[in-house]
Amino acid sequence: MTIQHNTGTLPSQEKHLVLLRDGRTLIGFLRSIDQFANLVFHQTVERIHVGKKFGDIPRGIFIVRGENVVLLGEIDMDKPCDTVLQQVSIEEILEEQRLQQQAKQETEKAKVTALKDRGLSIPKADNLDEY
Amino acid sequence: MTSPFSNSQYPIYLHLLLLLRFSSLDEDCTLEKEEGLVEEEDEIDQFNDDTFGDGAIDDDWQEEHKRLAELEERKNDGLGGLGLGGLGMGGMGGGDSSTVQLPPPASREGGGGDLAESLAMLILGADPAIASVGGPAGSGDRSTGLPPPPSMPQQHHHPSQLPSHHQLTPSGLPPGPLHPSLLSYQQHQHLLRRGGAPMQQMNSHNIWENNMGFGPVSVTPGLITQMEDSPLMSIIKEVGLPNRPPPVMSEDGRDFSERAPPPRSSSPVIGSPPVRAVPIGTPPKQPMSHIHHPTTVHVRAPVHHQHRYPPSFPERISPNTLLNMANSPLCRPPFPAGVGPVLSQIQRAQMLNSQVAGFPRGCQGPPLLPGGGGFRPFFGQPPPHRMGPHHNHVPCPIIRHNTTHLHPQHRRMLTQRMQSRGGYRGGRVGDWRSRDPYSNLMTQREKEWVAKIQMMQLQSTDPYLDDYYYQNYFEKMEKRQERDRDGVRKEHTTKLITPQVAKLEHTYRPVQFAGSLGKLTVSSVNNPRKMIDTVVTSRTDDEEKREKQVWNKRRQILYTVEKMYSLLLEVQDFEKRFMQTPEEQRETLLEQHKTHTLQLYASLKEKEWDDRVSDEQCLLIMSVRKGKRLISRLIPFLPPLQAATVVMGIARNLHALAKKDKQDQALCWLVEPVAVVISSLSSAALTDLLQELQGSEGQLSKVLQNKFGVTLLYLILSEGERMQSSDLNCQLMDDNRWTELVFSVTRELLNVPPSSLSPPLFTPPNLLSLFSRYVDRQRLELLQEKLQISALSR
Repeated sequence: MTIQHNTGTLPSQEKHLVLLRDGRTLIGFLRSIDQFANLVFHQTVERIHVGKKFGDIPRGIFIVRGENVVLLGEIDMDKPCDTVLQQVSIEEILEEQRLQQQAKQETEKAKVTALKDRGLSIPKADNLDEY
Repeated sequence: MTSPFSNSQYPIYLHLLLLLRFSSLDEDCTLEKEEGLVEEEDEIDQFNDDTFGDGAIDDDWQEEHKRLAELEERKNDGLGGLGLGGLGMGGMGGGDSSTVQLPPPASREGGGGDLAESLAMLILGADPAIASVGGPAGSGDRSTGLPPPPSMPQQHHHPSQLPSHHQLTPSGLPPGPLHPSLLSYQQHQHLLRRGGAPMQQMNSHNIWENNMGFGPVSVTPGLITQMEDSPLMSIIKEVGLPNRPPPVMSEDGRDFSERAPPPRSSSPVIGSPPVRAVPIGTPPKQPMSHIHHPTTVHVRAPVHHQHRYPPSFPERISPNTLLNMANSPLCRPPFPAGVGPVLSQIQRAQMLNSQVAGFPRGCQGPPLLPGGGGFRPFFGQPPPHRMGPHHNHVPCPIIRHNTTHLHPQHRRMLTQRMQSRGGYRGGRVGDWRSRDPYSNLMTQREKEWVAKIQMMQLQSTDPYLDDYYYQNYFEKMEKRQERDRDGVRKEHTTKLITPQVAKLEHTYRPVQFAGSLGKLTVSSVNNPRKMIDTVVTSRTDDEEKREKQVWNKRRQILYTVEKMYSLLLEVQDFEKRFMQTPEEQRETLLEQHKTHTLQLYASLKEKEWDDRVSDEQCLLIMSVRKGKRLISRLIPFLPPLQAATVVMGIARNLHALAKKDKQDQALCWLVEPVAVVISSLSSAALTDLLQELQGSEGQLSKVLQNKFGVTLLYLILSEGERMQSSDLNCQLMDDNRWTELVFSVTRELLNVPPSSLSPPLFTPPNLLSLFSRYVDRQRLELLQEKLQISALSR
């Protein structure tokens, strides 16, 4: 029903936030859509969240294929923004992300070895495996 | 305009002119360059010039004509008005003079008034001085100056047709008969801006389009001004010529070349998706949305869209009507053809919903449809408070027209929600818009179109099946409301009335043309048809077995025949090979050859020790066409004795073979080799052969039905005769067999009806002498007649 609402108002007055299947968050002006939910984003910014920090990477124009969209929402600019999130620079957030990934991998590895020791093996769920 | 002629010659040429006038009516005389007015001397169309001007071959005629035309003009000036001779055409410059005569009788009959006007116009054209006489209403064709006469009958139509200009024809061009003149109108528009220089060309265009082939018409400046004054011109200026947007836009220098994908090839209309100029996935074309969205900023895309998609509908229809028209082709694209009626029902419902819900004029409120009355009870009172916040901005929250059937409560909630948000943002909108140049890349129509597609998926014929919880929820809500209100207000007790999904015509009836057999079957995505009628014939096991047996047998015979063929071919090639091989090896080759031939013969025999040719085998082989051919090729290679037995076998079985051979008479191939064999037969053998041929009772008649049979018979007989006549010691007469046989043969021949007697391949000449030996004169004559044996002297 989102679209129903939007068609009444002018698009791209407010930014939209889209969450993709690979976990990325894009924020930008939604310029165009089609029946497959392919999206055209303008002045897109990819927002990476790590913990309480986030960083915005400007990406320009994005065209997102509809099948990769998880959800899409409008950002209400007028709402008071009282988040605890703090914005950091790009390098910092990337670094944070890298660290986060690393930590995750290590824990995963540890888990796997622990299970192996006990004779169990849980197959690793691949991110891209949908079915 | 100086005329080379003196006045004294004038009357003579006048006479000539008159003659020419009447004679040239039928001729297709295209005129040379016009003359008359000095101004056009410089503006002669090149094309015209080459064809009919100075480049033309027939100079004398031209000059003559020119002179005459000038005279005509002068004469017209003198006569003035509507004299017959001086139908001011001459003044038109010219060349027209002879042909101009005819404002074809049609125009005369069309109405005296019009004629007068047109004539007056003509005269006007001739002389700018008279231009002030006034522009008649029917002066549509001013572009060409004085419209050439063929357009005069069109002038009747002009006033009626021109006002219809603003109902633009989709093609963007004026309809039919006005075509040349209006084209030149457009050109004339250019002219007005740019000057008179290109005028001639346009005139010539006009001429070439004009079947009558009148000469170019000159346009005087005076006329031009007059044209500007004409009411028609003003209308056209006001309304605008039916130009398509592309020319206007292309002037801006934008490149649209790579915008649109090539259109799909059209499929036949019958039963298949409608032929569309634009591919299916494309969003709707942008209408002239500036009319409806005066505040929106159009950057590139809308313009592009307009160019990209050729308008399949008149451009001035509002997007509202477009959307709401159930029949609109652009509404259809996302849907299969069948959903149309469904949409219309739902559409109507939705529209009425929104209508009654009270959207202000600012929105794209759909017009009330006549079917609306039935849906009235559907709604409660439209809540009036909704009118408030919407008046300001154009893009009011619109419930989609073509959406699925929402429960009214649901809709109300949605609208409330939207209002609250929309109202909040109302103030800022204008500000934003001015700053963001990329907003509204998608037009309202496109958004609606996408929404429509998505909503289409939500349509359901059975809401309780598809969305049980939704239905139940709202039912409960309704009940709750009823309970709570309980008689205070009835307005909210609205029921959800599901529109009935129309039963669509799914069956495909193939197109059938009148008077034809069968139906035209068109197969497409929507109605797949079977192209090949594969009928399963279920046969019983017995039948199948029998059929199989038959086929197997045949195959076997063919197999045998083919094997024999390979042997035969080797035998045939023997001689060639013999020549090629050196001496030493010739022996072996010869041996080989002999074995082959023996083998061949052996294959015809059933039992090894019996020298007779096996009947069965022979029959089998001969039953196949290939086999017959084989035998005919084989016989020459066999040693004489064996060949004789083969021929015996043939003769013996001929009656059976003849039956099979009826159709293609392949037995006739055998004639030659058999003839050779026969000629080498001894008399005893010959008699035997004849006996074999005759066989049992009735056999001969069957044989006679076959061409080969008859021929064989004749061969035998003639051989016998030859033997008798040549060799006096012939043993043929030793026993009576021969005689008896011949008697029976003749008897048979006489008895057999002519129809069943097949004509032989050839008739040996000595048959007559044969018969004359054995039969009396009467019978002989009969035989003669029957067999058409020519009477030869002995």
